[in-house]
Amino acid sequence: MDYILHLLILIFIYVMLAQSLSLTAGFAGMISLAHAGFYGIGAYATAILSVNYHLSFLLTLPIGMLICGIMALIVSTIALRTVEDYFIICTLGIQVIIFSIMNNWMNLTNGPLGIPGIPSINIIGLEFNNKPSFLILSIILGTAIFLFLRLIIKSSFGRTLKALSEDEIYTQSIGKNVYLSKVTAFTISAVIAAIPGVLYAHYISYIDPTSFTINESIFILSIVIIGGMRNLWGMVFASSFLVLLPEALRFIGLPNTIAANLRQIIYGTILIIVIFNTGNNLNIFRGYTRQRSYKE
Amino acid sequence: MLYQLIINILIQFSLVSLIGSSFFYIFNSGKYYAIHHAAIITVAGYFISVSYENGTPLYLSIIISVIISTLLGILIEFILLKNIREKQQKTFFLIIASLGIYIMFQNSIIIFWGEELKLISTNNISSINRFYDAFITNIQMIIIITNIIIIISTILFFKLSRLGKKIRAVSENTELSSVFGINVNYIILWSFGIGSFIASISGILITFDVGMNPSSSFNLLFYGVIALIIGGIGNIKGLIFGALLLATAQHLTAYYIDSKWMDAITYIILILFLIWKPLGFSGQRLKKIEI
Repeated sequence: MDYILHLLILIFIYVMLAQSLSLTAGFAGMISLAHAGFYGIGAYATAILSVNYHLSFLLTLPIGMLICGIMALIVSTIALRTVEDYFIICTLGIQVIIFSIMNNWMNLTNGPLGIPGIPSINIIGLEFNNKPSFLILSIILGTAIFLFLRLIIKSSFGRTLKALSEDEIYTQSIGKNVYLSKVTAFTISAVIAAIPGVLYAHYISYIDPTSFTINESIFILSIVIIGGMRNLWGMVFASSFLVLLPEALRFIGLPNTIAANLRQIIYGTILIIVIFNTGNNLNIFRGYTRQRSYKE
Repeated sequence: MLYQLIINILIQFSLVSLIGSSFFYIFNSGKYYAIHHAAIITVAGYFISVSYENGTPLYLSIIISVIISTLLGILIEFILLKNIREKQQKTFFLIIASLGIYIMFQNSIIIFWGEELKLISTNNISSINRFYDAFITNIQMIIIITNIIIIISTILFFKLSRLGKKIRAVSENTELSSVFGINVNYIILWSFGIGSFIASISGILITFDVGMNPSSSFNLLFYGVIALIIGGIGNIKGLIFGALLLATAQHLTAYYIDSKWMDAITYIILILFLIWKPLGFSGQRLKKIEI
């Protein structure tokens, strides 16, 4: 039972990550490979603050989000001067730089040894130290993020993002500030990505740089793509599928080491199939969910 | 120490520009960042070490490995990417598809052949030569020489041969060249073949020199890609400058600061270039539209 709860918490963390990435990658059309980096910044910020300075969760969460936001703002004002493929390469570079800072700045992040002993979440006397309570917390935060993203998408800003992903020049010509919208979207998405980072750090209580590598970024991006780029519910299905897949493989009797690799093979294959089989809106759940196709 | 530094820079430069020039062929005609190219480098390295460990003579394993990874590159393009290219217009779909292919191959390699470092060392190729107060192994000399040969032949290929001119035409303007009767898919297939051929050679050389593990080729490929971007894509001389700049920066970092910051410095250089000089030293425009 405990194990199932653990998986559910992981699913929720990945749903939050994927939905936040969907704001940039899906709606604004900027594929970012730096998402695990921002996730990691959130986790490291909260770990350092709560281990070294004994701040409570109510303080570390906003500070983590703030640090992530400032980093994302700096990074995106730089990176968004490039377009399309170059932007992907640029975010890849940012991811590698963030990872090497985590891995090599010994004084701050303790390098590859990681930061152990992160205390569990404590909100004014309420201790979230067992799995059911933590699951409730992540469900609350996940729902909040979901509703917040829905709000953004339905707003005029969300429509601007959709427009600029379809045709940047045209959007500019009708008087929208494309550059500012892109920077805002990127920053919001990174700020939201800090929340699962904070949760993850408190939940696992030990973090090291290997949780925030480029492979993690690719994994989050695959959830977004398999979930249908702009389909927030699809991301729930996709992340459940991809998180539960190795468990299913282990269940049918594959050894642990092969199951991990086989999962990656399967999601690589799914990526190819999704791109191969669908139109430009890349939604394999088309027809199963109530998402209207935006291309038509 | 200075000589050693220069030799190290030279070796790194050769590796980067080898991989860069293999990617150069693909990017020139395909026009997207084919990440699965890293898998071809790994396959070449792994195949040669496995077949050598199983007792095949060295020259035979080299030939088999080159043939297999070249065929692999061609097949991936022929079966998958060609069809995706016809369906999807935006290049980032192709990048994601090739990312998927890369993930597939990388993990298949881990399942079949294990994750540990594959290194071939025989007395012949690993023996160390002294050069003033610096050391260089035979294989490192072979790397430098191979790189020179590949660079010169690439320049000549694009200048003189008919196929090279066709690849250049496709890279300039795909639609116009197909109007002039060039079979674009055929040309792209050829360039994937040549690119995979060079990639397999560099994979083999890396396996001899420092060894190959499934995740190292991704980094190496991106060194090549970064050198290509810095040099201005579509320009082999730019690639040489880019690779030289990159290798120098990496080894100066390793010498004066710490070798663990090499990756970070590489990507910082890339980002600086993408922002302030997106054209590279020279080369193509980087614009959303052309009017």
